[in-house]
Order: sequence, then C-alpha cells, then structure tokens
Amino acid sequence: MNVKFFSPAFRKALTAGAVLAGVISVSAQAPESEIEALREQIRQLDQKLRVLERKQELKDEQAAAAAKSGPKITTSDGRVEIASADGGTSLRLRGLVQGDFRAYNAANNPNDTFLLRRARLIFEGKFGKNYSYVVQPEFGGTIQILDAYVNAGFSDAIQVRVGKFKTPVGLEQLQSDPVAFFNERSVATGLTPNRDVGLQVYGDLLDKRLNYTLAVFNGVPDGGNNVTGATDFDNNKLFAARLFATPFANDKESPLNGLGFGVAAAISDFETASGRASGYRTDGQQTFFSYEADVAAVGQGLTVSPQAYFYRGPFGLLAEYVISSIEVQRGGLGRVADVKNHGYNLSVGYVLTGENSSYRGVTPSTVFNPSAGTWGAFEIVGRIAGVDIDDTVFGNNPLTRFADPNKSATEITTYGLGLNWYLSRSVRANFDFFHNEFKLAPGATPAANALISDSETSFISRLQLSF
Amino acid sequence: MPSIFKRIVRPALIAASLTAAVAASANTTILNVSYDVTREFYKEFNPLFAAHWKKSTGETVTINQSHGGSSKQARSVIDGLAADVVTMNQALDIDILHTQANLIPADWATRLPHNSAPNSSTILFIVRKGNPKNIRDWSDLVKPGVSVILPNPKTSGNGRYSYLAAWGYALRQSGGDEAYARDFITKFFANVPVLDTGGRGATTTFAQRGIGDVLLTFENEVALTIRELGADSLEAIVPPSSIRADNPIVWVDQVVKKKGTEKVAKAYLEYLYSEEGQELAAKHYFRPVDPKVLARYPDRFRQLELFSVEEVAGSWTNAQKTHFADGGVFDQIYTRK
Repeated sequence: MNVKFFSPAFRKALTAGAVLAGVISVSAQAPESEIEALREQIRQLDQKLRVLERKQELKDEQAAAAAKSGPKITTSDGRVEIASADGGTSLRLRGLVQGDFRAYNAANNPNDTFLLRRARLIFEGKFGKNYSYVVQPEFGGTIQILDAYVNAGFSDAIQVRVGKFKTPVGLEQLQSDPVAFFNERSVATGLTPNRDVGLQVYGDLLDKRLNYTLAVFNGVPDGGNNVTGATDFDNNKLFAARLFATPFANDKESPLNGLGFGVAAAISDFETASGRASGYRTDGQQTFFSYEADVAAVGQGLTVSPQAYFYRGPFGLLAEYVISSIEVQRGGLGRVADVKNHGYNLSVGYVLTGENSSYRGVTPSTVFNPSAGTWGAFEIVGRIAGVDIDDTVFGNNPLTRFADPNKSATEITTYGLGLNWYLSRSVRANFDFFHNEFKLAPGATPAANALISDSETSFISRLQLSF
Repeated sequence: MPSIFKRIVRPALIAASLTAAVAASANTTILNVSYDVTREFYKEFNPLFAAHWKKSTGETVTINQSHGGSSKQARSVIDGLAADVVTMNQALDIDILHTQANLIPADWATRLPHNSAPNSSTILFIVRKGNPKNIRDWSDLVKPGVSVILPNPKTSGNGRYSYLAAWGYALRQSGGDEAYARDFITKFFANVPVLDTGGRGATTTFAQRGIGDVLLTFENEVALTIRELGADSLEAIVPPSSIRADNPIVWVDQVVKKKGTEKVAKAYLEYLYSEEGQELAAKHYFRPVDPKVLARYPDRFRQLELFSVEEVAGSWTNAQKTHFADGGVFDQIYTRK
C-alpha cells in the first residue's frame, strides 16, 4: 500500500465525495438524525484513512531504522566492504594486480618479457571490539598465502599480531608494494628478512610519536619468505625489534612534520639453514650473488638497519642502511666464516603535479580523463643503492670458498630513474630504468655471458591496479 | 648535597606540588543515562546539584546527560556506555544491569529511600477538547466506538504502565478475577487502532495526526503535550484510579569504582530527595515522594487512587514474564490490525 495513495489530498477528495454522496442521497428535509449519522460515518472513514496513513508512516520509520541497524555494503575505488551497523564487524575485499613488461641489456642476454608480477586478493576484517585480520593469497609467481594474521588491539600502545606477516626490520620492506617509489625494491632490501610466521607486540607511544615493535619468528634468511608457513627448521627463534620515531608527526605546521627515523634489528642462531639465501638480486631481478649450494648457516645471524624517511609536500626521501652478518660453513665441515654484508638505499621522489608524497603513497587530486582535461598525478623518482659482499666468502679454491667469484659479484651499485603516473587512486603506471654496476672479487674471470661480466641495464614498466 | 637538592629534589617537589594542585582543582565529570522525557528535568537539576556540590565540597562537577528509550538506554549501559548513574521509569530496566551485566548489586533498590525512587508519575488520559466521547474512567475505554491510543507495551515503559493500569483496574473491579481482567484487556486493545513503539510516537499519532479519542500517557507528559501541542484542542482527564509509576535511580557500582566517582554519584542521587530536588520534580510534573512538597501542588497533582505494579502483578519481573514476554498475555489477546 503506497502512502501517497492515502495522501491528505486524496483523503480530502474521498471525504468530499462521501459528503456529496450523502447530500445527494439525503433530501433537504432529511431528519437531523440522518445527517448526524452521515457525519459519524464520514468521521469514522476519516479516522480509518488516518490510521492507514499512520501505519504506513510507522512502517516507513521501522524500515528506516532497520536499514540503519542492518549490515552496510559500501564500495570505494574498487574496494567492497560489508560492515555491521556499528562497524564492529566487517569484511573488506581488496586486490592488487601488477602486469609488467621488462626489457634488458645485460651480458647474460635475458629475454624481454611480459610478467604477471603480483596478483593478490586481500581479505581484511574486524570482529569483536579489538580484533582484526588479514588473509592475502598471492597468485602471481609462487602461489602462496602471503599474509595471514590476526591482530588484537588492546590499545594504541599494545597490539598483538599472530600469524604470517612481514618481519619488522627493513624500512622499504615494510612499505606496501603498490606505494613504493620504484616498482622493484632496492638491492639493500634484499639483505633484510621478509615474511615469516611468528608473534609480534607493537604499538604507538608518546601520542603516536614513537612506534615500537617486538617480535619473534621461526627465522628466514635475508630477503627470504616462509612461503608455505612451514614449521621451524631448527629450535632457535629469530627475535626482531624496531623503534621508529616521528617526533613532529602531530605538528602539522612543522617543516619536519614528515620526518621519521629509527633503527631495527633481528638476531637468531641458525643450526641447519642450508642454502643461506636464494641469492641477492639486481634491480632487474637477476641474481648477482649466491652462496655455493652446500653453504649452511651454523651460528649467529644478525641484521641491523638504521633507517629514515622525510616527506614534505611533493618531495619524499627514504634512506636505510643494512648490515647483515651470518656465520656460515660449507657442508658441515671446515672453517666457519663470519660474513658481514652491507647495503644502502637512498631513494627520492617528487610529485610534479603538486600532490603530497608520503610513506603511504601519493593520492592524485585528479583522475586520468582526457575529455575533462585531467591527467592524474605524475611523480619522478631516483635511487642510488648498493650492496657490498664480505670478501671472505670468495676464494679460488672451489672446495673451500663460500661463493664462486666468477658467478657472484663482490659489490653492486645501482642507479634508478623512474616516472610514476597515478591515473587514479587505484591505477598506477610505472616506467623505471635501472643501471647496475658490478665489482668483481679479486682474481675473478667470469665468462663473457655471465651477468656480472658487464653492467646490467633494465627497463621495467608496470600497470598496477591496487584497491 | 646542595647540588643534588637543587638539581633533583627541588624540581621533584615542585612537580609534585603542581600535580597535587592540578588534582585538587580537577573537574569531575559524571554521566547520567536516563529515559526520554526527563531531558528537561535533568537539564535544570544538574546545575542545581553542581552548585550544591561546589558549595558543600569546593569541587567542580560536570554532569553529562544521555536520553533515549529506557530499555535501549539500559542496553547501552550493559554494552559499555560508562554511566555513573542511571535514572529510569521502571525497575525492570535497572534490574537487568544486575542480571545481565552484574554492574550493580541485586539489592540496589534498598540503598536509597522509597525503593530508590525519589519521584513518581502515573498514567492519565488526554481527550479532544470538550471530551466528545465523555471518557472519565478506565471502563469508558472499552466501550464500542472509542478509539484508544497508547504505545506498544512490548517496546515501551509507557505502554507497559498503561497496560498494567487497565489490567489493575479490571482486577480491582472484579475482586481479583483474572478471567474478567483478561476479557477487559482484550476489549481494551480491540479499541486500539495503531501501536507506536514509544510514548512520543503515540503522542504524535494522537495530537498531530488526529487519530483516536483518548491518549494514555504519563502525568508529566500530559501537561507537556497539552501545553505544546494543543491547549485549545486537548484536555486532561484524571481517572478515579491509576497505577503509580515509580522512577527508580541507581549509581552504577562497576563504573563509579573504576572512575573514582562513587561519592559524587551517590550525592547526586541523594540530592534528588532534597527539598530542592523534590520541588524541581514537582515543577516538571513528577510527583515528589516528600508529602510536604506534594501537598504544595494540589492542583497540579490531582487526588486519585494509585495502585502499584506489585499489587497488580507481584513484581516487574512477574509482569514481564506473564504479560509482555513473547507468548505472554499481550501476545495472546492482541490482534494485529
């Protein structure tokens, strides 16, 4: 029953009709009692219509109240979120797809290629008063559950995370993939541990000016992921701690508002971690250093990383230094070497269209829409980074050395230059040039078609959908 | 030693003194969670108490108010709303703070005089000007052709009191015959064309939508409704008898202990029993428990025979279980129209 059907105008018309009918049917000489009866009939009819109107009004009010108390579905920039009326329980579906074209000029002459770099569905949710979760499967490259954790937030100062997630060491490593300056992280990040299974306590102190993280994991090697979420390979655990200060974060007017700095460290004993690392990779994602296949970690591993960023207006800078040390042995025999590798990364960016740069990325003020004359946001980025491998790992004796000097470089210096085009909040295109210079270990004579025999130049372009 | 004193002890003493001074002048804030129609009363009572508290203790207190449907407000407190005090229009909405959340002790009603109810109200009638249906008593409400407006007893305290008033009238008329009361209440609700979820909605139905011949509502709402919605078209009818609607109050032990506001919260509630609190209640058409104050307003609070919920149904718990719970008497006799 539509409420408009019983609108005041309709009711008046109906009432008038009834009156008219009464007038026609009752002669001018009709007794007063009949007129009174007609009046009562009209009054009752009017009351019935009013009641019907009011019931419809109450139904509408109840429907509106029910809509407020029912679950809500919202969509924004490709995201879909289902949330309870009070927001206490929610499920948000997000996604990330990165499609690359890569071209190389390198001594080993790799194929130019299209590549599905990342393809992720991200499920984020909240439940109860204090709990949230993330489940993030990866369908690009190695299919795996990349992140899967539950977070219990008791206060801003005390949060507990359990599951599989990033080890809190590298600054660039901790930054979300889609918002990093470049479409591949720097060689220095290759020296920091990546995702692992464990437990983390963290929080913000001093009115969110100091962030601390304490964590314990099974332990993964440099740049390594615990791909399958497998059980630990030994009885030792990796302990990680990070302190990161943003002392001016609450002072919006301060020129140092976007300054953050800190230090992170991870330490563990390793007993049987054979194949210490899958190797360190160039910006073009080719391996420029790897240990001999039977090298195993047999002692303490320590990673330390002082780190900082600074963002002001369209300018952004991210810098970190990484020292990764590990005790290694070949085949369980012979000498134990305490290897110390060093890495650094200095990245800068400038948003040409004036939007603010931040650790969480750039939000374009317009979207790409040529018919409207808007083009989104453009950012230029530059980077210099390097890794210096401990010379003790090299040697000319194939039986005792830890790395082959003819296949692995002792040092790499990388230069990157790129353009980021933010077509919308969700769509970004990157065009990055990387040039990597290698330094060979003393006495090295790599084959002419070995990667390290000459510099590597790569062009990596990417179209990314991140929502 | 002087150097240590200068560098450490003296700054520490200064800091401690400053902290003590700040603490002494600190502004205490308490929250009163109440039902819908007490907004105006507490808006006037709160500054009165704050001035009294300042004068008697030197401390500053700020009282925040929260108003809404009584059962919904009680649910909010159970769900975590940090109410220092709760002021309701029926004990049922306070009992659940104990039964469902253990926020208060079971014997909360014994901690303040008059079962922790400093004032009360009752259910009266509002009719159209001139009282065309000649409605004077509860028996007139079951006559054919009389249209009665009241809120849903399952969702409104106002509705529950009106229902129990009609039920109590029938019991008293029949000498306690429940079958007679059931027949009476069935006829009563046969004359109810529409049920709003709350008292304010029922007032809208009657006064603004022009539906019905008589509206049943609290005494304090009667005066407000006639004054604001129809002094020239509505008039109040005081039946010979009705139900006494106590307005119980309680401090929420679990909250005040945590916040350290137990003393001021108790004092706030006790002040409702003071002459100033009783006078203010009378001003807002709540019947004060102090007979001296009540006697000062013979025109405002007309004489009628008042019976209690306990006399009608034994207790609020019994009333809820027998009449208003799903499948109870109301569900059995009410035919949705």
